[in-house]
Amino acid sequence: MQPRAVLRMKVNGKAVEVAVDPAWTLLRVLREELGLTGTKQGCGQGDCGVCTVMMNDRAVNACLVLALQADAKEIETVEGLGTPERLHPLQASFIKNGAVQCGFCTPGMLMSAVALLRKSPHPSSEEIKKGISGNLCRCTGYAKIIRAIQDISK
Amino acid sequence: MQHYQFDSTRSVEEALRYLSEKGERCRVIAGGTDLIPKLRLDDIHPEFILNILEIEELRGIREEENSITIGPTTTFTEVIESKILSHHFPCLIQAAVSVGGTQIRNRGTIGGNIANASPAADVLPAILALGGDIELRSKASGARTLPLAKAIEGPYRPLIRSDEILTRIIIRKLEGKTRTAFEKLGHRNAMARAQMNLSVVLRLDKEDKILEGRIVPGAILPVARRMKDAEKVLLGKPPEASFIEASVEALADEVSQESEVRLPEYKVPVLKNLARRLLKQCLLKRFE
Repeated sequence: MQPRAVLRMKVNGKAVEVAVDPAWTLLRVLREELGLTGTKQGCGQGDCGVCTVMMNDRAVNACLVLALQADAKEIETVEGLGTPERLHPLQASFIKNGAVQCGFCTPGMLMSAVALLRKSPHPSSEEIKKGISGNLCRCTGYAKIIRAIQDISK
Repeated sequence: MQHYQFDSTRSVEEALRYLSEKGERCRVIAGGTDLIPKLRLDDIHPEFILNILEIEELRGIREEENSITIGPTTTFTEVIESKILSHHFPCLIQAAVSVGGTQIRNRGTIGGNIANASPAADVLPAILALGGDIELRSKASGARTLPLAKAIEGPYRPLIRSDEILTRIIIRKLEGKTRTAFEKLGHRNAMARAQMNLSVVLRLDKEDKILEGRIVPGAILPVARRMKDAEKVLLGKPPEASFIEASVEALADEVSQESEVRLPEYKVPVLKNLARRLLKQCLLKRFE
Protein backbone atom coordinates (compact mmCIF):
# COMPACT_ATOMS: atom_id res chain seq x y z
CA MET A 1 0.00 0.00 0.00
CA GLN A 2 1.38 3.37 -0.91
CA PRO A 3 0.67 6.63 0.86
CA ARG A 4 -2.86 7.82 0.28
CA ALA A 5 -3.67 11.16 -1.27
CA VAL A 6 -6.83 13.13 -0.71
CA LEU A 7 -9.30 13.33 -3.57
CA ARG A 8 -11.98 16.01 -3.38
CA MET A 9 -14.75 15.97 -5.96
CA LYS A 10 -18.49 16.36 -6.33
CA VAL A 11 -20.47 13.19 -6.90
CA ASN A 12 -24.13 13.57 -7.83
CA GLY A 13 -24.13 17.08 -6.43
CA LYS A 14 -22.52 16.19 -3.10
CA ALA A 15 -18.99 17.16 -2.13
CA VAL A 16 -16.95 14.10 -1.15
CA GLU A 17 -13.47 13.64 0.21
CA VAL A 18 -11.76 10.27 -0.15
CA ALA A 19 -8.28 9.03 0.75
CA VAL A 20 -7.13 7.22 -2.37
CA ASP A 21 -4.21 5.14 -3.57
CA PRO A 22 -2.73 6.95 -6.62
CA ALA A 23 -3.05 3.73 -8.63
CA TRP A 24 -6.83 3.63 -8.25
CA THR A 25 -9.16 4.63 -11.02
CA LEU A 26 -12.25 6.78 -10.62
CA LEU A 27 -14.29 3.60 -11.16
CA ARG A 28 -12.68 1.89 -8.19
CA VAL A 29 -13.34 4.91 -5.96
CA LEU A 30 -16.99 5.15 -7.02
CA ARG A 31 -17.70 1.46 -6.51
CA GLU A 32 -15.52 0.44 -3.61
CA GLU A 33 -14.97 3.58 -1.58
CA LEU A 34 -18.28 5.34 -2.15
CA GLY A 35 -20.44 2.22 -2.60
CA LEU A 36 -21.94 3.49 -5.85
CA THR A 37 -22.09 0.10 -7.53
CA GLY A 38 -24.57 1.18 -10.21
CA THR A 39 -21.55 1.99 -12.37
CA LYS A 40 -20.26 -1.36 -13.56
CA GLN A 41 -16.79 -2.70 -14.19
CA GLY A 42 -16.35 -4.44 -17.53
CA CYS A 43 -13.31 -4.58 -19.77
CA GLY A 44 -11.22 -2.07 -17.83
CA GLN A 45 -9.76 -0.57 -21.00
CA GLY A 46 -12.43 1.63 -22.50
CA ASP A 47 -13.95 -0.83 -24.95
CA CYS A 48 -17.30 -1.70 -23.39
CA GLY A 49 -18.70 1.48 -21.84
CA VAL A 50 -20.38 -0.14 -18.82
CA CYS A 51 -18.48 2.25 -16.52
CA THR A 52 -19.72 5.40 -18.29
CA VAL A 53 -20.23 8.38 -15.97
CA MET A 54 -20.44 12.10 -16.58
CA MET A 55 -17.41 14.17 -15.66
CA ASN A 56 -17.91 17.93 -15.95
CA ASP A 57 -20.83 17.26 -18.26
CA ARG A 58 -18.99 14.92 -20.63
CA ALA A 59 -19.47 11.13 -20.77
CA VAL A 60 -16.24 9.32 -19.90
CA ASN A 61 -15.17 5.77 -19.07
CA ALA A 62 -14.55 5.82 -15.31
CA CYS A 63 -12.06 2.96 -15.78
CA LEU A 64 -9.88 5.29 -17.87
CA VAL A 65 -9.71 8.14 -15.40
CA LEU A 66 -7.15 7.99 -12.63
CA ALA A 67 -8.92 8.79 -9.38
CA LEU A 68 -6.67 11.77 -8.71
CA GLN A 69 -7.40 13.18 -12.16
CA ALA A 70 -11.00 13.58 -10.98
CA ASP A 71 -9.88 16.07 -8.32
CA ALA A 72 -12.16 19.15 -8.25
CA LYS A 73 -14.39 17.64 -10.93
CA GLU A 74 -18.14 17.07 -10.92
CA ILE A 75 -19.14 13.46 -11.41
CA GLU A 76 -22.61 12.15 -12.16
CA THR A 77 -23.40 8.46 -11.89
CA VAL A 78 -26.55 6.46 -12.59
CA GLU A 79 -27.44 6.82 -8.88
CA GLY A 80 -27.84 10.55 -9.49
CA LEU A 81 -30.38 10.08 -12.27
CA GLY A 82 -33.37 8.90 -10.30
CA THR A 83 -34.50 6.78 -7.35
CA PRO A 84 -36.72 3.68 -7.42
CA GLU A 85 -39.58 5.92 -6.29
CA ARG A 86 -38.81 8.74 -8.70
CA LEU A 87 -37.32 7.35 -11.86
CA HIS A 88 -35.65 9.58 -14.42
CA PRO A 89 -37.88 9.70 -17.54
CA LEU A 90 -35.18 7.81 -19.43
CA GLN A 91 -35.17 5.04 -16.82
CA ALA A 92 -38.97 4.82 -17.03
CA SER A 93 -38.72 4.64 -20.80
CA PHE A 94 -36.15 1.82 -20.64
CA ILE A 95 -38.59 -0.17 -18.47
CA LYS A 96 -41.61 0.65 -20.63
CA ASN A 97 -39.78 -0.35 -23.81
CA GLY A 98 -38.24 -3.51 -22.38
CA ALA A 99 -34.78 -2.07 -23.06
CA VAL A 100 -33.23 -4.12 -20.25
CA GLN A 101 -32.20 -7.74 -20.58
CA CYS A 102 -29.40 -8.82 -18.26
CA GLY A 103 -29.04 -5.22 -17.13
CA PHE A 104 -25.27 -5.03 -16.99
CA CYS A 105 -24.92 -2.46 -19.77
CA THR A 106 -27.96 -0.45 -18.64
CA PRO A 107 -26.29 2.10 -16.33
CA GLY A 108 -23.69 2.93 -18.97
CA MET A 109 -26.33 3.09 -21.70
CA LEU A 110 -28.39 5.46 -19.54
CA MET A 111 -25.43 7.76 -18.94
CA SER A 112 -24.50 7.83 -22.63
CA ALA A 113 -28.13 8.53 -23.50
CA VAL A 114 -28.30 11.35 -20.94
CA ALA A 115 -25.12 12.86 -22.38
CA LEU A 116 -26.58 12.65 -25.87
CA LEU A 117 -29.94 14.18 -24.93
CA ARG A 118 -28.28 17.10 -23.14
CA LYS A 119 -26.45 18.01 -26.33
CA SER A 120 -29.16 17.07 -28.77
CA PRO A 121 -32.66 16.85 -27.22
CA HIS A 122 -34.29 15.40 -30.34
CA PRO A 123 -31.76 13.02 -31.88
CA SER A 124 -32.42 11.02 -35.04
CA SER A 125 -32.05 7.25 -34.74
CA GLU A 126 -28.70 7.61 -36.52
CA GLU A 127 -27.55 10.09 -33.86
CA ILE A 128 -28.78 7.75 -31.13
CA LYS A 129 -26.81 4.86 -32.63
CA LYS A 130 -23.70 7.04 -32.69
CA GLY A 131 -24.42 8.30 -29.17
CA ILE A 132 -24.41 4.78 -27.71
CA SER A 133 -21.69 3.42 -30.01
CA GLY A 134 -19.21 3.40 -27.12
CA ASN A 135 -21.45 1.04 -25.16
CA LEU A 136 -21.69 -2.70 -25.76
CA CYS A 137 -24.82 -4.74 -25.01
CA ARG A 138 -23.89 -8.41 -25.23
CA CYS A 139 -27.54 -9.43 -25.04
CA THR A 140 -27.70 -7.44 -28.30
CA GLY A 141 -30.79 -5.58 -27.17
CA TYR A 142 -29.91 -2.46 -29.10
CA ALA A 143 -33.21 -2.06 -30.97
CA LYS A 144 -35.21 -1.62 -27.77
CA ILE A 145 -32.58 0.63 -26.21
CA ILE A 146 -32.73 2.89 -29.26
CA ARG A 147 -36.54 2.86 -29.11
CA ALA A 148 -36.48 3.78 -25.42
CA ILE A 149 -34.25 6.78 -26.08
CA GLN A 150 -36.33 7.83 -29.08
CA ASP A 151 -39.53 7.50 -27.09
CA ILE A 152 -38.71 10.30 -24.67
CA SER A 153 -36.97 12.56 -27.17
CA LYS A 154 -39.75 12.91 -29.73
CA MET B 1 -0.82 -3.26 -8.59
CA GLN B 2 1.17 -0.25 -9.65
CA HIS B 3 3.17 1.87 -7.21
CA TYR B 4 3.84 5.38 -8.33
CA GLN B 5 3.67 8.89 -7.05
CA PHE B 6 1.00 10.99 -8.77
CA ASP B 7 1.55 14.69 -9.22
CA SER B 8 -0.45 17.28 -11.05
CA THR B 9 0.74 20.65 -12.24
CA ARG B 10 -0.81 23.80 -13.69
CA SER B 11 2.27 25.24 -15.37
CA VAL B 12 4.52 24.13 -18.20
CA GLU B 13 7.61 25.43 -16.39
CA GLU B 14 6.84 23.31 -13.35
CA ALA B 15 6.20 20.29 -15.56
CA LEU B 16 9.55 20.75 -17.32
CA ARG B 17 11.35 21.07 -13.98
CA TYR B 18 9.64 17.91 -12.77
CA LEU B 19 10.59 15.96 -15.89
CA SER B 20 14.19 17.19 -15.84
CA GLU B 21 14.49 15.69 -12.34
CA LYS B 22 12.58 12.44 -12.82
CA GLY B 23 13.47 11.68 -16.46
CA GLU B 24 12.72 8.13 -17.51
CA ARG B 25 11.26 7.23 -14.15
CA CYS B 26 8.27 9.43 -15.00
CA ARG B 27 5.39 9.08 -17.44
CA VAL B 28 3.24 12.00 -18.47
CA ILE B 29 -0.51 11.47 -18.39
CA ALA B 30 -3.13 13.50 -20.23
CA GLY B 31 -6.36 11.76 -21.26
CA GLY B 32 -4.96 8.42 -20.11
CA THR B 33 -6.88 6.37 -22.67
CA ASP B 34 -3.64 4.72 -23.84
CA LEU B 35 -1.59 5.00 -20.65
CA ILE B 36 -4.08 3.57 -18.15
CA PRO B 37 -4.56 0.25 -20.02
CA LYS B 38 -0.74 -0.04 -20.19
CA LEU B 39 -0.51 0.48 -16.43
CA ARG B 40 -3.28 -2.00 -15.85
CA LEU B 41 -1.60 -4.64 -18.04
CA ASP B 42 1.72 -4.04 -16.22
CA ASP B 43 3.41 -3.07 -19.50
CA ILE B 44 5.05 -0.08 -17.82
CA HIS B 45 6.13 0.62 -14.25
CA PRO B 46 6.73 4.34 -13.78
CA GLU B 47 7.82 5.66 -10.39
CA PHE B 48 6.11 8.96 -11.07
CA ILE B 49 3.10 10.04 -13.07
CA LEU B 50 2.72 13.68 -13.97
CA ASN B 51 -0.77 14.89 -14.91
CA ILE B 52 -0.64 17.68 -17.50
CA LEU B 53 -4.38 17.94 -18.13
CA GLU B 54 -4.71 20.89 -15.74
CA ILE B 55 -2.17 23.02 -17.63
CA GLU B 56 -4.37 25.64 -19.25
CA GLU B 57 -1.85 26.75 -21.90
CA LEU B 58 -1.53 23.24 -23.32
CA ARG B 59 -5.19 23.14 -24.28
CA GLY B 60 -7.24 24.75 -27.01
CA ILE B 61 -7.10 25.82 -30.62
CA ARG B 62 -5.69 29.17 -31.76
CA GLU B 63 -5.82 30.68 -35.21
CA GLU B 64 -2.77 32.70 -36.26
CA GLU B 65 -2.27 34.49 -39.54
CA ASN B 66 -0.78 31.62 -41.51
CA SER B 67 -1.26 28.66 -39.24
CA ILE B 68 -3.41 27.04 -36.61
CA THR B 69 -1.97 25.93 -33.30
CA ILE B 70 -3.53 23.06 -31.40
CA GLY B 71 -2.69 22.47 -27.75
CA PRO B 72 -1.69 18.84 -27.15
CA THR B 73 -4.27 18.22 -24.41
CA THR B 74 -7.12 19.31 -26.66
CA THR B 75 -9.50 16.35 -26.73
CA PHE B 76 -10.76 14.69 -29.90
CA THR B 77 -14.23 16.03 -29.04
CA GLU B 78 -12.84 19.57 -28.82
CA VAL B 79 -11.12 19.07 -32.19
CA ILE B 80 -14.42 17.92 -33.71
CA GLU B 81 -16.34 20.85 -32.20
CA SER B 82 -13.83 23.42 -33.49
CA LYS B 83 -15.21 25.61 -36.26
CA ILE B 84 -11.71 26.81 -37.15
CA LEU B 85 -10.42 23.27 -37.67
CA SER B 86 -13.45 22.06 -39.59
CA HIS B 87 -13.13 25.05 -41.89
CA HIS B 88 -9.41 24.62 -42.59
CA PHE B 89 -8.67 20.92 -42.10
CA PRO B 90 -11.71 18.68 -42.76
CA CYS B 91 -9.52 15.55 -42.89
CA LEU B 92 -8.40 16.17 -39.31
CA ILE B 93 -12.02 16.34 -38.16
CA GLN B 94 -12.80 13.09 -40.00
CA ALA B 95 -9.81 11.47 -38.31
CA ALA B 96 -10.88 12.67 -34.85
CA VAL B 97 -14.44 11.45 -35.46
CA SER B 98 -13.14 7.97 -36.21
CA VAL B 99 -11.34 7.65 -32.85
CA GLY B 100 -13.03 5.30 -30.35
CA GLY B 101 -16.53 6.09 -29.12
CA THR B 102 -17.85 9.25 -27.49
CA GLN B 103 -16.32 8.45 -24.10
CA ILE B 104 -12.84 7.98 -25.57
CA ARG B 105 -13.11 11.11 -27.71
CA ASN B 106 -14.16 13.10 -24.64
CA ARG B 107 -11.02 12.04 -22.83
CA GLY B 108 -8.34 11.16 -25.37
CA THR B 109 -6.13 13.98 -26.62
CA ILE B 110 -4.54 14.83 -29.93
CA GLY B 111 -1.12 15.15 -28.27
CA GLY B 112 -1.56 11.73 -26.70
CA ASN B 113 -2.29 10.23 -30.10
CA ILE B 114 1.02 11.67 -31.34
CA ALA B 115 3.12 10.86 -28.27
CA ASN B 116 1.83 7.30 -28.10
CA ALA B 117 2.85 6.89 -31.77
CA SER B 118 0.73 3.84 -32.41
CA PRO B 119 1.04 2.66 -36.04
CA ALA B 120 -2.77 2.58 -36.05
CA ALA B 121 -3.23 6.11 -34.67
CA ASP B 122 -6.04 7.91 -36.46
CA VAL B 123 -4.92 11.54 -36.38
CA LEU B 124 -1.31 10.88 -37.42
CA PRO B 125 -1.98 10.30 -41.15
CA ALA B 126 -4.18 13.41 -41.25
CA ILE B 127 -1.58 15.65 -39.60
CA LEU B 128 1.18 14.14 -41.76
CA ALA B 129 -0.84 14.81 -44.92
CA LEU B 130 -1.41 18.36 -43.71
CA GLY B 131 2.35 18.75 -43.17
CA GLY B 132 2.04 19.59 -39.48
CA ASP B 133 4.88 20.42 -37.09
CA ILE B 134 5.21 19.70 -33.42
CA GLU B 135 6.90 21.80 -30.76
CA LEU B 136 8.75 20.07 -27.93
CA ARG B 137 10.07 21.82 -24.87
CA SER B 138 12.53 20.87 -22.16
CA LYS B 139 14.18 22.66 -19.27
CA ALA B 140 17.65 21.91 -20.62
CA SER B 141 17.24 22.99 -24.23
CA GLY B 142 14.14 25.15 -24.47
CA ALA B 143 11.81 24.75 -27.43
CA ARG B 144 12.46 22.90 -30.68
CA THR B 145 10.08 22.54 -33.58
CA LEU B 146 10.19 19.66 -36.01
CA PRO B 147 7.95 18.22 -38.71
CA LEU B 148 5.76 15.44 -37.37
CA ALA B 149 7.15 13.40 -40.28
CA LYS B 150 10.54 13.42 -38.50
CA ALA B 151 9.21 12.84 -35.01
CA ILE B 152 8.45 9.12 -34.95
CA GLU B 153 11.17 6.50 -35.45
CA GLY B 154 9.15 3.34 -35.04
CA PRO B 155 5.93 1.86 -33.72
CA TYR B 156 5.26 3.42 -30.29
CA ARG B 157 8.66 5.16 -30.48
CA PRO B 158 8.23 8.92 -30.74
CA LEU B 159 11.41 10.99 -30.70
CA ILE B 160 10.32 12.80 -27.58
CA ARG B 161 12.99 12.78 -24.87
CA SER B 162 12.01 11.87 -21.35
CA ASP B 163 12.62 15.46 -20.20
CA GLU B 164 10.49 16.92 -22.98
CA ILE B 165 6.82 17.79 -23.29
CA LEU B 166 4.87 18.14 -26.50
CA THR B 167 3.69 21.74 -26.21
CA ARG B 168 2.07 22.59 -29.55
CA ILE B 169 0.94 21.13 -32.83
CA ILE B 170 1.27 23.67 -35.61
CA ILE B 171 -0.42 23.23 -38.97
CA ARG B 172 0.02 25.81 -41.70
CA LYS B 173 -3.17 26.87 -43.45
CA LEU B 174 -3.57 25.39 -46.90
CA GLU B 175 -3.22 27.90 -49.68
CA GLY B 176 -5.46 28.19 -52.70
CA LYS B 177 -7.91 25.53 -53.73
CA THR B 178 -7.48 22.40 -51.67
CA ARG B 179 -9.28 19.16 -50.99
CA THR B 180 -8.71 16.92 -47.99
CA ALA B 181 -10.08 13.52 -47.04
CA PHE B 182 -9.64 10.84 -44.39
CA GLU B 183 -11.20 7.45 -43.88
CA LYS B 184 -10.63 4.66 -41.44
CA LEU B 185 -11.47 1.01 -41.91
CA GLY B 186 -12.01 -1.10 -38.79
CA HIS B 187 -13.87 -4.22 -37.81
CA ARG B 188 -16.79 -2.03 -36.90
CA ASN B 189 -17.41 1.68 -36.97
CA ALA B 190 -17.07 2.54 -33.31
CA MET B 191 -14.24 1.70 -30.97
CA ALA B 192 -12.29 -0.49 -33.38
CA ARG B 193 -8.58 0.00 -33.82
CA ALA B 194 -7.90 0.99 -37.42
CA GLN B 195 -7.17 -1.93 -39.73
CA MET B 196 -6.12 0.71 -42.14
CA ASN B 197 -6.67 4.41 -42.61
CA LEU B 198 -5.75 6.93 -45.23
CA SER B 199 -5.55 10.67 -45.51
CA VAL B 200 -5.29 12.65 -48.72
CA VAL B 201 -4.56 16.36 -49.18
CA LEU B 202 -4.55 17.85 -52.67
CA ARG B 203 -3.83 21.37 -53.89
CA LEU B 204 -5.43 22.27 -57.20
CA ASP B 205 -5.14 25.11 -59.71
CA LYS B 206 -8.11 26.92 -61.26
CA GLU B 207 -8.72 24.13 -63.76
CA ASP B 208 -8.48 21.52 -61.00
CA LYS B 209 -5.07 20.38 -62.20
CA ILE B 210 -3.12 18.90 -59.33
CA LEU B 211 -0.36 21.19 -58.04
CA GLU B 212 0.55 19.11 -55.02
CA GLY B 213 -0.63 15.82 -53.60
CA ARG B 214 -0.05 14.23 -50.23
CA ILE B 215 -1.11 10.67 -49.59
CA VAL B 216 -0.58 9.06 -46.18
CA PRO B 217 -1.80 5.56 -45.37
CA GLY B 218 -1.85 4.49 -41.72
CA ALA B 219 -1.82 1.12 -39.95
CA ILE B 220 -0.08 -0.57 -42.88
CA LEU B 221 3.60 0.44 -42.46
CA PRO B 222 5.40 0.54 -39.08
CA VAL B 223 5.30 4.35 -39.20
CA ALA B 224 2.75 6.26 -41.25
CA ARG B 225 4.34 8.50 -43.86
CA ARG B 226 3.80 10.19 -47.22
CA MET B 227 3.87 7.97 -50.30
CA LYS B 228 6.01 9.96 -52.72
CA ASP B 229 5.57 7.76 -55.81
CA ALA B 230 1.79 7.85 -55.62
CA GLU B 231 1.96 11.62 -55.06
CA LYS B 232 4.34 12.24 -57.94
CA VAL B 233 2.10 10.48 -60.45
CA LEU B 234 -0.60 13.06 -59.79
CA LEU B 235 1.49 16.21 -60.27
CA GLY B 236 0.31 18.47 -63.06
CA LYS B 237 -2.48 16.07 -63.98
CA PRO B 238 -6.13 16.97 -64.55
CA PRO B 239 -8.75 15.31 -62.34
CA GLU B 240 -9.32 12.21 -64.44
CA ALA B 241 -9.97 8.63 -63.45
CA SER B 242 -6.96 7.29 -65.39
CA PHE B 243 -4.50 9.36 -63.33
CA ILE B 244 -6.24 8.37 -60.13
CA GLU B 245 -5.79 4.75 -61.19
CA ALA B 246 -2.08 5.30 -61.92
CA SER B 247 -1.61 6.86 -58.49
CA VAL B 248 -3.46 4.00 -56.81
CA GLU B 249 -1.19 1.46 -58.55
CA ALA B 250 1.92 3.41 -57.55
CA LEU B 251 0.65 3.50 -53.97
CA ALA B 252 0.14 -0.25 -53.91
CA ASP B 253 3.67 -0.87 -55.27
CA GLU B 254 5.27 1.56 -52.87
CA VAL B 255 3.53 0.11 -49.81
CA SER B 256 4.39 -3.47 -50.82
CA GLN B 257 8.05 -2.55 -51.34
CA GLU B 258 8.37 -0.51 -48.17
CA SER B 259 6.70 -3.02 -45.88
CA GLU B 260 9.23 -4.85 -43.72
CA VAL B 261 6.90 -7.80 -43.32
CA ARG B 262 4.79 -9.68 -45.81
CA LEU B 263 1.48 -7.87 -45.80
CA PRO B 264 -1.68 -9.92 -45.26
CA GLU B 265 -3.12 -10.63 -48.68
CA TYR B 266 -6.18 -8.47 -48.25
CA LYS B 267 -4.29 -5.32 -47.36
CA VAL B 268 -3.13 -4.12 -50.76
CA PRO B 269 -6.45 -4.56 -52.62
CA VAL B 270 -8.27 -2.90 -49.73
CA LEU B 271 -5.77 -0.03 -49.68
CA LYS B 272 -6.27 0.45 -53.41
CA ASN B 273 -10.03 0.67 -53.00
CA LEU B 274 -9.64 3.10 -50.15
CA ALA B 275 -7.22 5.32 -52.07
CA ARG B 276 -9.37 5.23 -55.19
CA ARG B 277 -12.42 6.24 -53.16
CA LEU B 278 -10.71 9.15 -51.40
CA LEU B 279 -9.01 10.49 -54.51
CA LYS B 280 -12.32 10.39 -56.36
CA GLN B 281 -13.97 12.08 -53.40
CA CYS B 282 -11.41 14.89 -53.65
CA LEU B 283 -11.24 15.20 -57.42
CA LEU B 284 -14.38 13.94 -59.06
CA LYS B 285 -17.07 15.22 -56.71
CA ARG B 286 -18.76 17.25 -59.40
CA PHE B 287 -19.13 14.20 -61.66
CA GLU B 288 -21.01 12.17 -59.10
